[in-house]
Amino acid sequence: MFHRVTRARRRFVANRGAVVGAVLVIGLVGVALLAPVLSAKDPLVSDVERGLSELGAPLPPSDDAVLGTDQLGRDVWARVASGARTSLSIAAIATLIALVIGVSIGLVAGYAGDALDNALMRLVDLVLAFPALLLAILLAALFRAAELTSSTAPVFLTLGVVSWTAMARVIRGKARVLARSDMITAARALGASPSRILARHLLPNLAGVVIVVTAFGFAQNLLSESVLSYIGLGPPPPAPSWGRMLYEGRAYYRTAPHLVLVPGIAIALAVVAFNLLGDGLRDALDPREAP
Amino acid sequence: MTVRWAAAAVVAVVAVVAVVAAACSPPDRGPRFRAAGATAPRAGGTLRFAVKDQVRTLDPTISYDEVGYYILHPLFDTLVDFSPGGSDIVPRLAARWEISPDGLTYSFELRPSIAFSDGAPITAAHFKQSLERALATPDSPFAEYLGDIAGARDVIDHKAATCDGITALGDRRLAIRLVRSDPALLDVLAMPFTTPQRAEHIAAAGDQLRRRPDATGPFELASWDEGNRIVLRRNPHYFDPARAHVDQIVMLENIPRDTQFQLFERGEIDAAEKLAAPDYLFVIAEPAWQPYVHRAVGMNVFGSRMNVRRKPFDDRRVRQALNYALDKRHTARLLNGTTVPSHGILPPGMLGRDPDLAPYPHDVARARALLAEAGYPHGLDLDYLTTNDEETEKVAASLQSDLAAAGVRVHITVTSWATWQTENGRPDGAPFAFAAWAADYPDPTNFFDPRFHSRSIKPEASTNDSYYGNPELDALLDAARAELDVGKRDAMYRRAERILYDDAPWIWDYHRVTTEVTQPYVRGYEPHPIWMRDFTSAWLDLGPDGAPVPR
Repeated sequence: MFHRVTRARRRFVANRGAVVGAVLVIGLVGVALLAPVLSAKDPLVSDVERGLSELGAPLPPSDDAVLGTDQLGRDVWARVASGARTSLSIAAIATLIALVIGVSIGLVAGYAGDALDNALMRLVDLVLAFPALLLAILLAALFRAAELTSSTAPVFLTLGVVSWTAMARVIRGKARVLARSDMITAARALGASPSRILARHLLPNLAGVVIVVTAFGFAQNLLSESVLSYIGLGPPPPAPSWGRMLYEGRAYYRTAPHLVLVPGIAIALAVVAFNLLGDGLRDALDPREAP
Repeated sequence: MTVRWAAAAVVAVVAVVAVVAAACSPPDRGPRFRAAGATAPRAGGTLRFAVKDQVRTLDPTISYDEVGYYILHPLFDTLVDFSPGGSDIVPRLAARWEISPDGLTYSFELRPSIAFSDGAPITAAHFKQSLERALATPDSPFAEYLGDIAGARDVIDHKAATCDGITALGDRRLAIRLVRSDPALLDVLAMPFTTPQRAEHIAAAGDQLRRRPDATGPFELASWDEGNRIVLRRNPHYFDPARAHVDQIVMLENIPRDTQFQLFERGEIDAAEKLAAPDYLFVIAEPAWQPYVHRAVGMNVFGSRMNVRRKPFDDRRVRQALNYALDKRHTARLLNGTTVPSHGILPPGMLGRDPDLAPYPHDVARARALLAEAGYPHGLDLDYLTTNDEETEKVAASLQSDLAAAGVRVHITVTSWATWQTENGRPDGAPFAFAAWAADYPDPTNFFDPRFHSRSIKPEASTNDSYYGNPELDALLDAARAELDVGKRDAMYRRAERILYDDAPWIWDYHRVTTEVTQPYVRGYEPHPIWMRDFTSAWLDLGPDGAPVPR
């Protein structure tokens, strides 16, 4: 076991893309955690006196505001840092929800096989058949109607409920192969209960796959959060999220392009980072699929 | 791995380059077209514009919103109209009129050869019919405007079918008799609901009247695809060719403001109004656009109303403190300089407005002192209601941060326009809220009486939504309403302004300057203070082929 971990680490470190991804992810998480320390300005408070031009236009980057100010005179750097916190935490909770649903269903389906497997996989098909974005819009609107508007709960619940299917499929495939292995047959012959087999034998052996789907799921959720925010179903204002910043800044693309560039680059960077990390982890943890 | 990495990188780079390119390379930020250079108005062409809402009805007795008026004004002529600047009354269907010395009798002589758009002549009886219809129709918001006419009360209360005070003398003379003098009557008679209407048309149209206007103005309805577009065409029987140069006016409905500006830039519409902040900033940054940017102070006022009967607003010192705490320069800047700071309800240029009365200065220390005097040395918490609109939310956020500096913690609730309106109109509704008023005609009565006369306090849909009642002001307003001497009237309204300034039932904030940009080939057009978008005298300076000339 120890030997396997060392080997995986060596493979990961040798992969340049993976290292870049990991560094970026650590950087982003760092920014998210340290957001209040990184900027002296409040991301929510507008400064009409100094944050806007005489005509009320957003200010371009300057010494006073490194990334400029937005249409309400708020500091864009403070907002993008604080937005990292909002966006990453929403993606994290959503991925966790998806993981719990996806792993449970994938495990049970893969282990049980036959009718139960069939039924659960049709459920996955059903959810997949529905366009994810449309489903997300529907759910977000429903949660909104349920008076959950003042929190980020509708956003991460929606994303979690939408994004578990891919995880369930991958886990189920791996679990199915493992369930027929000699190791499981032996455990069963020794009289282990199904729950013990799932928890003690299957799950630990799926750890690598789970880590990889988590990274990819995270990237996907980050992007989906931006999409929801962009269409107005994200975290409620004035909370800064990258998608919302992009949405609010879009109309200024000619007079104040930094309002779209900054959150746009942040989203692209974060999605690329988590994808690279996921790729690196997959290659490192699963040598058979490595190029 | 490498493929994915490369693909992601390419996408990111392309996106960045695209945005930077769009931002930095100026292909041409000015107008795409220019005027062809005609020296006199030319006839022909189609003038196109768009609105973000839609028209509900074209029945002049019912229609009562700004967007409806964009269409109603070209469709319906009235006895008199407002001059282009809005300050004077000019003849329209009436050639001349006389007012008796006591101000109680108005005699109009109609212009010869005026006709409906089907060619049938318009007679004095048609005016009487439409005024009586406004009085008798329960859905009509206009009955009260005619309340001073002799016998009008009986028609409103359905005790009489006809109004004694309105008399048609033959085909071309109309007399209106009042029970008390009303200097605003001519303003009222310029409103579209007073347009002549034929009883037989109304009967024949039935419930389709809202779609079948009996046009009397320079244009008539060609088609209306509801919610999408209204097309007007020139009325062939209209008497004044100077008011109908273009062949057609097309109004697109339900087009959001930012989309309107995109359509405008592509040359698909000829005018874009109330520009969104980013578009306005774009236009004013480009010198080539400047000759085509129109600005006009509307007959409006914006601020925050307080229910003066509820705590803590029942204390005048609190209301004054909030007025001192607000920094009107902040609002002005947030709204891109398209505001005039206000000291009261009357917009600039209005009779009765005292230009020497300076708006409340921004004075945080004074605000804190007044609050302490009123028993709030540690400030206070207030709930604030506003509507979900870019502008109102900005204004609320600005109010919140200004008042915070004086120790007043404002908690904002954003709601729909309808909810906000209902809440304001009920004495037990939200006590502190965003407030706005746009007048129907340029007379101070239309500002003061609905907003601050105790007569306008109602249990539902109260237009006096600060529930302000002051016998001194009531008496002053009643006297000013009937005063015929303009100088005396002006002085009376100045006193009314002063009373309201001191009593501060609102946090006075700003008058909005509306902004509109037109294509260079649109000529003879200026936004009108009352009709706002009045294209009746506009003409299109197009090339010989009828297409705009590229710049």
